[in-house]
Amino acid sequence: MTSDPTRQTLDALGIRSEAAVLALFADMRARFEQDAVSKTDLDEVAWTTLRNAWLGRASGIIAGITENWLKPAPPDLKRVVGKALNELKARVEGALEELRVRMEAAAERRAAASGKTDLSLPGVPRVLGAKHPIRQTFEELEKIFLSIGFTVAEGPEIETPYYNFEALNIPEHHPARDTMDTFYLDLPATAGGPPGAPGLLLRTHTSPVQARTMEKQQPPVRIVVPGKVYRRDNPDATHSFMFHQMECLAVDTDITFCDFKGTVDYFVKEFFGPKVKTRLRPSYFPFTEPSAEVDATCHICDGKGCRVCKFSGWIEMFGAGMVDPAVYGFANYDAKKYSGFAFGVGVDRFAFLKYGIDDLQLFFQNDVRFLRQFR
Amino acid sequence: MKILYNWLKEFVDAGTIPAKDLASRLSFAGVAIDAVEQTLAGELLDAEITTNRPDLLGHYGVAREVAAILRARSSVTSGTSSGTTSGTTLKPVEPKLHEAAEKAESAIQVEIACPELCGRYTARVLRGVKVGPSPEWLRQRLAAIGQTSINNVVDATNYVMFELGHALHAFDLDAIAEHTLVIRRAQAGEKLRTLDGVERALRPDMCVIADARRAVGIGGVMGGADSEITSATRNILLECAWFDPISIRRTSKALNLRTEASTRFERRADPEMAELASRRCAELIQQLGGGEVAAGVVDLYPGRAAISPGATSSIELTRRELLRIMGADVPDGEIESILRALGFAPARTDANRGSRDSLVAAWKCARPSWREDVKREIDLVEEVARHYGFDKFPARLPAATQPAARMPHAAAQDALLERLLALGYEEIITIPLVDEKLDAQFRAAGLSPARIANPLAEDAGVLRTSGAVNMLRTLEWNLNRGQRNLRLFEIGRAYSVRGTEPREQRILTLGLTGQVREKNIYEPARPAALEDLKGDLEALGELFGGFDMHPAEAGWLQAARAARIVRPGASLGRDASGDAGADGGGDVGIAGQLARRLAEEFKLRQDVYLAELALEPLYDAFAAKRAAIHYQPLPRFPAVERDFSLLLDDGVTFGRVAEIVRGLAIAEVEGVHAVDLFRGGQIPAGKYSLLLRVTFQSRQTTLTEAQVSDFSARIVSALTAKVGAALRSA
Repeated sequence: MTSDPTRQTLDALGIRSEAAVLALFADMRARFEQDAVSKTDLDEVAWTTLRNAWLGRASGIIAGITENWLKPAPPDLKRVVGKALNELKARVEGALEELRVRMEAAAERRAAASGKTDLSLPGVPRVLGAKHPIRQTFEELEKIFLSIGFTVAEGPEIETPYYNFEALNIPEHHPARDTMDTFYLDLPATAGGPPGAPGLLLRTHTSPVQARTMEKQQPPVRIVVPGKVYRRDNPDATHSFMFHQMECLAVDTDITFCDFKGTVDYFVKEFFGPKVKTRLRPSYFPFTEPSAEVDATCHICDGKGCRVCKFSGWIEMFGAGMVDPAVYGFANYDAKKYSGFAFGVGVDRFAFLKYGIDDLQLFFQNDVRFLRQFR
Repeated sequence: MKILYNWLKEFVDAGTIPAKDLASRLSFAGVAIDAVEQTLAGELLDAEITTNRPDLLGHYGVAREVAAILRARSSVTSGTSSGTTSGTTLKPVEPKLHEAAEKAESAIQVEIACPELCGRYTARVLRGVKVGPSPEWLRQRLAAIGQTSINNVVDATNYVMFELGHALHAFDLDAIAEHTLVIRRAQAGEKLRTLDGVERALRPDMCVIADARRAVGIGGVMGGADSEITSATRNILLECAWFDPISIRRTSKALNLRTEASTRFERRADPEMAELASRRCAELIQQLGGGEVAAGVVDLYPGRAAISPGATSSIELTRRELLRIMGADVPDGEIESILRALGFAPARTDANRGSRDSLVAAWKCARPSWREDVKREIDLVEEVARHYGFDKFPARLPAATQPAARMPHAAAQDALLERLLALGYEEIITIPLVDEKLDAQFRAAGLSPARIANPLAEDAGVLRTSGAVNMLRTLEWNLNRGQRNLRLFEIGRAYSVRGTEPREQRILTLGLTGQVREKNIYEPARPAALEDLKGDLEALGELFGGFDMHPAEAGWLQAARAARIVRPGASLGRDASGDAGADGGGDVGIAGQLARRLAEEFKLRQDVYLAELALEPLYDAFAAKRAAIHYQPLPRFPAVERDFSLLLDDGVTFGRVAEIVRGLAIAEVEGVHAVDLFRGGQIPAGKYSLLLRVTFQSRQTTLTEAQVSDFSARIVSALTAKVGAALRSA
């Protein structure tokens, strides 16, 4: 075609009948099919050119037909022109969309084949925070105890000798005080107290919160006490000025040694896994009677014997027992009516065992290469 | 305590039970055996004896436990002794002496001048003893349990101590002036050279054994060097006494002298054992070194009534209490055979005593002199339970009777933790004992530190008054190990003293250094700046109703790089010292860049940013902030942005500009933002360029161009009028 028929009106083209209109549209359709079909492997530029040629807003063929054929069409042809135009437009749009999808798929295939995408490269790095493994251990323990009805309690780290020792049935000069080397503050325990009396101290265990809680509240009591404790030990792989404990105390009517055993067994299994078994060995603590050491089968070797359990299959876990009636005396509980159990879990030790850590100092050096291992 | 199996078997028939099995059974009955070794004297059990059981610091006491373990168990037919399975019993100790005509009383005079420190004193006299090396069997046994052989007499005293658990001392009788002993308090300034060759300064609260002239031994701790047994010794004074536990403990601590003897006396030795142990020792000395034993014994026992429980005192055990504490039953036969084997001589006293395993069963039990730790019914419950076996009691969970609660601040702390992690902070936990001088540099005015009276290390002499020293030490540790980009936080406590009252406050400490973004394929590196810390603090503050920052002065932060963190709307006049780092008003903390002087002191060669917040006021504010959250309908009409490129004098802050814009009270002003900030270039000195973006939005309608232009004009004229702002271009 030498001149573009879409730039002229139907009248100028000499088209006056419905048949002639349809023939004209058939020509246009044939022209599009030729344009489109010849472009089997379009790139984006060619596709855009094709689209602009046909669907361009101002100068596209469809726009030209609308402007020059449809709008000035005589009333008797307007309907047929409109219908034919719609059909042509739908075909053009459909075909162009199809071509675009095909083109994009081909482009993706080419990109994939080129090897320029390296999925092994790291993405944009994000900075992540991490909880300290001791906090993670505390949280895990707290969750277990909350699930069996224990309320969380806390207390001061600077304690009086009364709460740290006396109220737990450890009078002054009791040999048990030797096993807990104590940091004292240069502050008197009670203002105006006798000279030479032991001053305030850094609590050597979280047990003082037992006494503080019982003083404020009659049974039933079910608490766990997470916190920092202090011992005057030279630091090494298993000793530190400060470490962490979680004390557990239950006092009520009808709490027995069987309940104590069940609670210990439940929480050790929850923490270390269902295959772990526990056992109790009689022991001595001034604030419990009967007292026991709790052992658990080694969760690393399932009790077969390994380095962690020193080839015994069992690991010493913590000290525990039924609350000694003498302790109730300090809290004004009726020892004939109430009974209960108490134990103190070494949280650092639990983290040691769970993660196979062998040096307590690692927890407090806070080397980020260590901390990030628990993310 | 080291236990030789062969020695143990002299007192109890353990049949053919292998040492390892016995060790395990002892452990599960309460005598913890850590290891079993082979020695020249046979198998050795390494026992860890708890402090309440001094009776187990001798083979005889352990043998009694073995007898209880291997007890005869009653048959099913009755609770009486008929029809029992065969068991073993403890063999009695019955020393045989060849006594001379001379009486002990005529050979030695003894007086106790301080019966409150020495409750019993026995003295035996042996003459013509041949002091020399001990025989092979004795040396082997002592070597096996870790004791050095000295000579036959000293070895005999040691041997009997490890056999019967009671310490003895042998004096050279001829070194005792006037053959007279006085047990008295030491005199002020009195000195004694002890067996270990050390001269000891004594105090009047210490008990000494003295002859007519001077102290010859520290009672219950160690003898004197001048009266020790030597190869020249012929005549021997054998002491076996009972000393007050607390006095021994004090003396041993004061002298820093712990001996096998002091360990036994301070845990409370058996006062009834003194005479028997003395007899047994005399028998052994006679066996080893010959000689004659003076007849009888000088036995002063002023403490008898006070320290020996005596035949009259008894304890009752009831099945009701056993069930109440243990939660499961133990048969009569077991209860009785356990208590009998341990020396409690149980006898049923209840009305139902004919019927076995009665619920009202009650036993009257004697209190053996060697078990001062058993005074109450609960103590008997434990004796029965540990020998019956803890494993025989079933495990069950107690019924929950109340709802469980977390700490009141748990939700606020969780939210804080979550946000800190999202901001990329890693948690540290440190030991809050720090160097006093370092801590002082970060201490808020008016705070006194809590000092440790007995620190183990100089750099751990006080409890920290802020988290700064621990944070900087941790940054230093990591920087020294090539970890340069750090964002750390610690949730801990700060400690201080007001008057004599200690105070502990929850604090959050933040430390930031290095690059907040490391160089990567996609982005360049970006070093941390004060603004990063501020952004992080704003993100945290959002949880608690927001933070405002005002210039602060703190010696440990760089001037002009330090900010007080204030909660807007917090009531003024708040107890200022209640907030770590606070200096008034609603201050909740402080933040800024570490002063260069301190960076150098901590050897930190890169910029460090620190912040510390008092958590209690924030935790208190958390619930109110949560409660104030109410849904706002989303705007239905579009927002319009207008940028104002302002030329401002240095010193006119963004805060002031924003305040002026907001002060116009144009309801449609939705946001006021600083988009760009520029100094230098075409900007004259003393001025800066601020690109201010104001967002307008109406809840009622789409804003027209005319309205927005009007707002803009009012903003520009207000800024011009109030801070002399000039508009750089439209």
